[in-house]
Amino acid sequence: MFLLRKYKTAIFIVTLFVIAVIMFSYDLKYRAEGSFFRKIVLEAVAPVQRVLSSSVKSVSDAWLRYVLLVDIEKENKNLKNKINEFKAALILYQEGYLEAQRLRKLLDLRDDYNYHFISARVIGREQAALSKTILISKGAAHGLKTGMPVIAPPGLIGRLVDVSWHVSKVLLFIDENSNVGAIMQRTRTQGIISGAGPRGLVLKYISKTQDVKEGDVIVSSGMDGIFPKGLLIGQVSHVDRQEASLFLKINVAPFVDFSKLEEVLILSSDEIKIK
Amino acid sequence: MLYYLSLPFLSILLVILQSTITDVIFSGRLVFELSLIVVIYAGFRLDLIRGSILAFILGFVFDCVAGSVLGVFTFIYVVIFLCSFFASVRLATEKIYIIALFSFFCAFLKELMVILFYYSAFKFDVLINMYFVLLPQALIVGLFAPVFFYLMRRVEVYLYEKAV
Repeated sequence: MFLLRKYKTAIFIVTLFVIAVIMFSYDLKYRAEGSFFRKIVLEAVAPVQRVLSSSVKSVSDAWLRYVLLVDIEKENKNLKNKINEFKAALILYQEGYLEAQRLRKLLDLRDDYNYHFISARVIGREQAALSKTILISKGAAHGLKTGMPVIAPPGLIGRLVDVSWHVSKVLLFIDENSNVGAIMQRTRTQGIISGAGPRGLVLKYISKTQDVKEGDVIVSSGMDGIFPKGLLIGQVSHVDRQEASLFLKINVAPFVDFSKLEEVLILSSDEIKIK
Repeated sequence: MLYYLSLPFLSILLVILQSTITDVIFSGRLVFELSLIVVIYAGFRLDLIRGSILAFILGFVFDCVAGSVLGVFTFIYVVIFLCSFFASVRLATEKIYIIALFSFFCAFLKELMVILFYYSAFKFDVLINMYFVLLPQALIVGLFAPVFFYLMRRVEVYLYEKAV
């Protein structure tokens, strides 16, 4: 009894070790059957583990969502940059497509008229109020000469007035100094087309007795010795039969939109080449 | 008496907390052995009876939850407790580096005992895990033990002041 009291701590510790040894010996031998104590502990652990796991899971889910959002933000930024790049590329392609269409129209025109053409780009516009001229990218070095007719889809736009080595100036026929021999396609009545600046064109010297209607097509007559016959000029937009005058006052709207000229064709030779 | 009654529940909570932290931080690759640090702390602070019961119950709960052979960790935790208890008499257990080194040693010892047990009982060659699991795990215990000891000391001071 005295020994028991004296060494009670040591005996207690040894007892713990013995219990542990018995436990793992038993467990090693009858492991498949499972232990009663283990089941009790697991039953106690399960609800606590469930609560803790769900709360940790919700926190980690929130964190993962945050990380995902950060990633999405980065991705969004990258995608926006890519969209901008693609937009820029698309604009380039559209520009190329439109240019191709314009050039195709020019080529069609070339086929229609069977002339010898030189193509050029519009590189500038005269900004003066009274003068309606444009600058083109070709000159004497490319075979251009003063007076050559200039056309753009769908028809005539003017003639060369100044030709430098690599640049030329085109006097548009809406310029008030411009006069072109013209003929009405329907009635074959001849007159002179003069530029009227912002109002477009005016067809002069058509007698009051002539049959002129709005919408009549005007083409070049070829009588002026500058412009070949049959080039489209415009169509009648208004006919004014003034009492006091001998002639009709006819306003003509040009076919070509002069504000959108980008490429033009110059008839480089007087000779008409027939296919 | 309250201490002995609350021990099983607190042990269960501790082991669950430990497994949850392990899952969150190490994704199950390493085990963050908070229970081992508690046993070492008990060795430094508690008396032999109370501490050994704590180590026994903690080891038993760990055995049950971890799914290892029942009694292995119970046995090992009591051994670790005894080591800590007798070391606390000779070591300056207030110093951080002593705590860190001793915890590292205990963690290493524990892993060695586990390896030896599994090798002798099942002929498992678990020595391959020596560098990738055993050492990092011991390092983690060694690094975190001073933090745990510091926190527990703050709690002790707070409780003591409250009691006074």
